[in-house]
Amino acid sequence: MIKNYLKIAWRNLLRNKSYAAINIAGLAIGIAACLLIFLIVHFETSFDDFHLKKDQIYRVITVNSGPDGITKESGTPIPLAEGLRADFPELKEVAEIFRNGGSHYSVQNANGSKKKFKEDDAYYAEPQFYSIFSFDWLAGDKETALAEPNTIVLSRDEANKFFGDWHNAMGKIVRYENKTDLKVTGILQNSPANTDFPIKLVVSCATMREKSSDFFRNLKDWVSTFSANQCYIVLPENVSVNQFNGDLKAMAQRRKPAPYNTTSVFGLQPLADMHYNTAIDIFTGHTFSKQLLDVVSLIGLFLLVIACVNFINLATAQAVNRSKEVGIRKVLGSNRKQLALQFIAETFIIALFAAVLAVVIAQVTLPFLNQLLNIRLSNAFLSDPLVWLFLTATVVLVTLLSGLYPATVLSGFNPITALKNKITAGRTRGISLRQALVVFQFFIAQALVIGTLVVVYQMQYFHNKSLGFNKDAIINVPFPGDSISRLKLNTLRDELIRQPGVREVSYSSASPSDISNWDSDFKYDNAPQQTKFNAYLKWADTGYFKLYGLKFIAGGPYKSNDSFTGWVVNQTLLARLGVTDPEKAIGKYIKLWDDPHKNQQILGVVKDFNVRSLKNAIPPVLMGSWKDVYQKINIKIAPQNIHQTLAGIQKTWNNTFPDGIYEFQFLDKKIADFYKSEDQLSQLYEIFAGIAIFISCLGLYGLISFMVVQRIKEVGIRKTLGASVGNIVYLFSKEFTLLIIIAFAVSAPIAWFSMNKWFLQNYTYRITIGPDIFLLAIFASVCIAWLTVGYKAIRAALANPVISLRSE
Amino acid sequence: MYHFRTGSVLKTYSGQIQKHHIILLINYIQNGMHFSGKLNYRSFYQIKNLSTMIKITDLEKYYRTEEVETVALNKLSIEVKKGEFVAIMGPSGCGKSTLLNILGMLDDPDEGSYMFNGIEVAHFSERKRADLRKHNIGFVFQSFNLIDELTVFENVELPLIYTGVPSAERLKRVEEVLTKMQIIHRRNHYPQQLSGGQQQRVAIARAVVNKPKLILADEPTGNLDSGNGNEVMDLLTELNAQGTTIVMVTHSEHDARYSDRIIRLLDGQTVIENMMNL
Repeated sequence: MIKNYLKIAWRNLLRNKSYAAINIAGLAIGIAACLLIFLIVHFETSFDDFHLKKDQIYRVITVNSGPDGITKESGTPIPLAEGLRADFPELKEVAEIFRNGGSHYSVQNANGSKKKFKEDDAYYAEPQFYSIFSFDWLAGDKETALAEPNTIVLSRDEANKFFGDWHNAMGKIVRYENKTDLKVTGILQNSPANTDFPIKLVVSCATMREKSSDFFRNLKDWVSTFSANQCYIVLPENVSVNQFNGDLKAMAQRRKPAPYNTTSVFGLQPLADMHYNTAIDIFTGHTFSKQLLDVVSLIGLFLLVIACVNFINLATAQAVNRSKEVGIRKVLGSNRKQLALQFIAETFIIALFAAVLAVVIAQVTLPFLNQLLNIRLSNAFLSDPLVWLFLTATVVLVTLLSGLYPATVLSGFNPITALKNKITAGRTRGISLRQALVVFQFFIAQALVIGTLVVVYQMQYFHNKSLGFNKDAIINVPFPGDSISRLKLNTLRDELIRQPGVREVSYSSASPSDISNWDSDFKYDNAPQQTKFNAYLKWADTGYFKLYGLKFIAGGPYKSNDSFTGWVVNQTLLARLGVTDPEKAIGKYIKLWDDPHKNQQILGVVKDFNVRSLKNAIPPVLMGSWKDVYQKINIKIAPQNIHQTLAGIQKTWNNTFPDGIYEFQFLDKKIADFYKSEDQLSQLYEIFAGIAIFISCLGLYGLISFMVVQRIKEVGIRKTLGASVGNIVYLFSKEFTLLIIIAFAVSAPIAWFSMNKWFLQNYTYRITIGPDIFLLAIFASVCIAWLTVGYKAIRAALANPVISLRSE
Repeated sequence: MYHFRTGSVLKTYSGQIQKHHIILLINYIQNGMHFSGKLNYRSFYQIKNLSTMIKITDLEKYYRTEEVETVALNKLSIEVKKGEFVAIMGPSGCGKSTLLNILGMLDDPDEGSYMFNGIEVAHFSERKRADLRKHNIGFVFQSFNLIDELTVFENVELPLIYTGVPSAERLKRVEEVLTKMQIIHRRNHYPQQLSGGQQQRVAIARAVVNKPKLILADEPTGNLDSGNGNEVMDLLTELNAQGTTIVMVTHSEHDARYSDRIIRLLDGQTVIENMMNL
């Protein structure tokens, strides 16, 4: 019996090749999109779930309460780990890890030549880190490898890069920042794709403490926090999270001086929360919120449903053609259940085909998706039993979702009417199921399109909005931070400015908009108390203001480049201090860190400019000159002969710092990169919306093809009565147009509401959703639908009525 | 011999037609009297001083498949006067329907000339033909060809929509013609809810609602029983009496007798033209 069903199903597919093709193509694309989304979700939910102690691992974070409410940050004070060990002996495992991104390493080859590397995924870590986290080691002892100063552990790839072959790397020497020799004491297996600790190179924390470099001179400082410095613990099973959070708060109160002992305390964040919590930084910067997971999953489900709707539409439309078969089968003794089963079997075959095709599509598109989202999904996903489970479930779901209704309709035909061929396509009066389904499809498709347009417009806004400073034709070049290199800065400036094509040169700690920021509270106008808010600190020489075109609304820049002579503040800082007239602020003193050397008058007030990405509001900004902390050269170049100019700059730099590694970045590119993850998602949404529209149109095409066949005689009659080609095309288009407009009327307010509530609210600087987005969406939908319907409709309209009327 | 009827009164005249008879006839026609007549063609021609509506000359039409070329019409020449009622007869495949389609400008000939009201239309574009058609020609089919999804009223209204008649005027004219066809009580029914005879009345109503000068009927009684068939033929005769030219394809000698003239086709050529003699 089953064999008979499958045979008939197969022949039916062959006989209606074009319908089968449309069905399978639509479903395959839907299932492929769904499969890829499943892989993304599966990947994003598997982060760091391979650690044996994953349920007990917590990150100790800093919890700040201030006038802006409670904020949590990943950064902690340097002495935290030591303090935890001292205060809580019951904690068996505590580990500090410190990201040292952009640090430099070199190795001496056997032939005496030197290889230099700059590494972003470089860390300092305590040996306990590797007893907390279960990373695989290829060589070395994870208990002792990082116990001593001047030791370094490399990942397999990193060791291959440094020494040719990791097998030879143990015991070799790596020179760090051109001054400290580190011995390789371990080789790590390359980190898996699904970890938020993509460590390539790790130096023992003991090295950092021993060298006591600039940053860590104050190991007793419990107030300053460093975002690069994180602390992990394994919470013993008999200690509750709530209880320990209380203990941590008490510890902060004990350890920190007033007023920070109440405004900035410690808390726990479970490892399992880290990848999803966008509010607290992680080393990779790649968090994926639960909300985003929900949105993406929902889109996947929607795409699958749209594809199923296609199927139902085509199957019920086609049912008319099969009414005779149903009649005959019923007369020959088949019961309703058997017939329904037969149709379900056909659906199953189509779903199966589609699933196979979907896997192929997914295989082919996966590399592009990886590139687009900058993730590492494996092409070998079929080896994962969970993927098989997903595919099986999808095929079953699709079969039931798309097969059940057509099977019910078809098997329900009355054999007598069916045999008399009296069953027509039933453009029934009132609202038919098919119309409702088309509305539903386009409701989803248009909601996705509107949503995507909002995202795209918001991204455009981010990229095009004026930031309050000039960012064009400016490059940022970092330089080595050691004191000897700093001595060369004045000469370097003179040499650079002499080059043709170089217009202005300035040194600073950061560019006006930057990812890494430094903030602190301060004392204003000789007040006894520190301010309750923090100001962003931007250290720059006096040329910085002109180079970036920062506008003064009162006073002017500080004069000297070398010594600290006074402050420049921004409007927001004055607003937070309650100063309404900027002129009145000029001459007032600001004292930073209670340091008499950092107590100077305000010399100028600049118009607000965007310090962070446009996702955030403009914070108060405090600017002064401080040569020791400059980290980059800002160079404004002429727009002509950029290539030559860049080459000249590189040559000069290399001559000045022969041991350094030259790098540069265009500022506008760097600012664009602030929105990289949003841009990636935006592109992903564009693809999803495109797929939704495509599948819907595929269904529309199938439906119109079918309708044309069904109504060919009507077209003939109408043409005989004087209908023009336009009249006929209108006849076919008007119904779809109306359906699409109804779908739009439903989707527009829902999309508007959702995007405002769940998307735009995330950004301080955001667009208002204007009518243009809606007009574009409906215009595009109708145009695409017309194009889809148009070809078939015009063909139908041009057909000779004589032929369609001949069949008497 | 010819006869005409006023109400139930049948008047029969024999012998050579006299001028006063003709005047009488025309008066009756103009007053909307029922008239069913078999009239000497030449006399009728003289009476109405008929001008030519359709004149086809050496018309040829082929159907080609990859191997075979079938001649549907072979140098056919026919003339139809205004106000005439012509029946076209012949065996299946003789080219009747092809001729009717060409006359109705649904199809174009391969060779030859087709003058409609003095205009050469043989090689008109699709758009021009459609335009000429919707203003001048009404169709009646064997299988009625009503649109199932439209009501009686909407079906009849359709030609008026395509000729751009305003909706108030459409309402008036459709009601008028439905009343005349005695089908007004069924205006909101769908075609499937009507009997064959009723459906054909709707189809005729649709064919005449635009007041066409020419009605092309393709076996209008083919799907009807004899009672309904005669009713339809009476309707056509009446329309003809009111001045509409009718060209009808039929297999039925009975129906053909309603016409003024029978053109018999064989293999795409005229075999014989019968005048319906007295």
